Amino acid sequence: MNKKINPGVFYLLPVMLFIILIFLIPLIYSLGTSFTRWLLLRPDLGVKFIGLTNYIRLFKDIFTWQTLGRTFYFVFGAVSIETIVGFILALTLNTEFKGWKVVQSIILVPFMMAPIVVGFTWKFILDDNFGLIPYMLKAIGLGNITKDVPLLANPKMAMPMIIIADAWEYIPVVTLIILAGLKSLPIELYEAANVDGATSFQKFKYITLPMLRPVILVAVVMRTLTSLQVFDSIYVMTGGGPGSATETLSFYTYREAFISYDIGFSSALNVLIILLAMIFTIIYMKIIRG
Amino acid sequence: MKKLKVFLVLSLLLGSLLFAKDADLRLVSEVGIHTEAWKSLMDDFTKQTGITLQLEQIPYANYFDKLMLSYTSGRNDYDVPYVSGLWVPALAKAKYIYPISDITGAKALNFKDIPGISIYTIDKKVYMIPFYQELGGVVYRTDLFNDPVEKQKFKEKYGYELQPPKTLKQYLDIAEFFYRPPDLYGITLMGQRSIFLVTHFMQRLWAMGGKLFDSKMKPTFNSKIGEKALENLKEFFKYASPACKNYVFQDALTEFENGKSAMAEIWTTALFYANNPQISKVAGKASFVGFPRTEETLNRKLPMLYISWGFVVSSSTKDKQKAIEWIKFATDPKNLVKVAPIGCIPARFSALRDPELPKKLSWIPDFEKALSNCIPTPLYPLIPEGQAIINNYLAPNISDYLAGIKTAKQALDDAAKGVYELLNNAGYYSK
Repeated sequence: MNKKINPGVFYLLPVMLFIILIFLIPLIYSLGTSFTRWLLLRPDLGVKFIGLTNYIRLFKDIFTWQTLGRTFYFVFGAVSIETIVGFILALTLNTEFKGWKVVQSIILVPFMMAPIVVGFTWKFILDDNFGLIPYMLKAIGLGNITKDVPLLANPKMAMPMIIIADAWEYIPVVTLIILAGLKSLPIELYEAANVDGATSFQKFKYITLPMLRPVILVAVVMRTLTSLQVFDSIYVMTGGGPGSATETLSFYTYREAFISYDIGFSSALNVLIILLAMIFTIIYMKIIRG
Repeated sequence: MKKLKVFLVLSLLLGSLLFAKDADLRLVSEVGIHTEAWKSLMDDFTKQTGITLQLEQIPYANYFDKLMLSYTSGRNDYDVPYVSGLWVPALAKAKYIYPISDITGAKALNFKDIPGISIYTIDKKVYMIPFYQELGGVVYRTDLFNDPVEKQKFKEKYGYELQPPKTLKQYLDIAEFFYRPPDLYGITLMGQRSIFLVTHFMQRLWAMGGKLFDSKMKPTFNSKIGEKALENLKEFFKYASPACKNYVFQDALTEFENGKSAMAEIWTTALFYANNPQISKVAGKASFVGFPRTEETLNRKLPMLYISWGFVVSSSTKDKQKAIEWIKFATDPKNLVKVAPIGCIPARFSALRDPELPKKLSWIPDFEKALSNCIPTPLYPLIPEGQAIINNYLAPNISDYLAGIKTAKQALDDAAKGVYELLNNAGYYSK
């Protein structure tokens, strides 16, 4: 008997090829190299299969756990601020006031900037000599905060500054996603609520929030996954310092890949980042379905 | 008409693709003033020899990565890269570059005329011919140091003449003396976690008679001398602007150029910028002194931070003779002196001693004095793992110490432990 091939398969072929070439092959290659000792600067040592040695080194090293902790600190901090502020901005922009289209365009400007430019911008804003924020802190009598140690050289303040720079860049995109969700909410529900005498807070709590939940979670998932890859702002603003106060997993991976040229170990770090991304995605999907 | 225009444009494009000829030699370099210096020689070289040159310039931050990608992928992108002397061991060991001393005609390059030639010599073969060199030391404001009022006040306070520092004690005294925030700071340093921060530590370690490694490549920087060097560095930050704790080279240079500090612990390249009236407020008022020593080590010839950039020949280069011709032309002493004012300290003794050179760069005699009194020592150990040792182990731990997270001993011990494991895994201790 001849089985007929579903013609729909042929329409899917290009995108499947794209996924295989751009995603699967590099992923499998990276997974493969994570089981090797491969030092690009030492071709005399060859590429040697070493099994789980890179992963054992990864998980035995206390630095990895500290870096994981800093990564979670960054991701949680950045995503929380972006979600809350983005949500508030979206609610504000949902009402059409005079010039709202212009405001909407201006809000997008940080997101249009290249991440490295954002890093330089915030490095200047936080500069102790001529930066806006130290100047404002001195003006309101809080100059002691930066008197001896600039914000980016303070181990306790450096990461919050990186988080603020990241939030500044990505709040617009979260705002846009939630705003799109708000605009798609059925108006009839609000009309019915009005008829029932619901207050604004009740409408927000019982209609807006539940209906927006999937949209908010999409924004959170997207920002979580991209936050795991933060690099540019850290590279420019602090170089991972002071000490290792702003070194996240992606920066650690960069150091191992492009300073030590240890392809095996940096591949293992990459696999760890991918695993984290998958875990976060699974958790969020369960929450959405729930 | 529109179709005709489209046809013409397409024909031009196609024609340029078909008939475009690769240059005889493909050069690659970072974007920097010493590149501008030898770039100015390219046309003259082509006129003289008929050999065509093509140059690609890449920002420093990406340069080594791009070069490595080109070599590791097996592509034959560049014939004569202009590289940092620090990269030579890694490139040579991996056989990405060819020993210049093995190329016919290389003797004309006169290796004896090159300072620090041993740095680029591996297994008795020379891999790089430097075009440019510089030392790490102290750039200082001649107007402040020569001011009679400042001199008198300094002598009253410290009991000796104000002059460019020879000892670490004098260096610290002068930094303290000129510490007048917010308008003037005693010293500019580079405190961000980076290779620049580590140079401050290394200079002090060497000045105090310490070493990074012993003869078996075991780390010795975590000795008592190392701890003293680190603690000494922290003392200097007291007389620097707080912003220095997050500076890299460009930030430090900008602060000095703006006249905000009396001294900057930086490299001699800074003088080209600091003395440029178009960008600097202290133009004509900057000079250089080699890194100070201690009283005990004052008369010893000790390592001092030494940086050089020069030409290497890729192993895949087809015509190595042409490469030698270019290198010979670019590093000819007369040409080095000619282009020095553009931004190059010549990497040849004969050029440094040319009587014409001090007329163009007044601080050259001070530079030559410092060079002859030191052992030119590269920024990191000349092994493939060198960059990792500095950036991945020393930089984070020194930064931890300065941020108050670790003590000097903890920081250096942690760095030494990491370096030991790195070199052990790479087989340095199993021979």
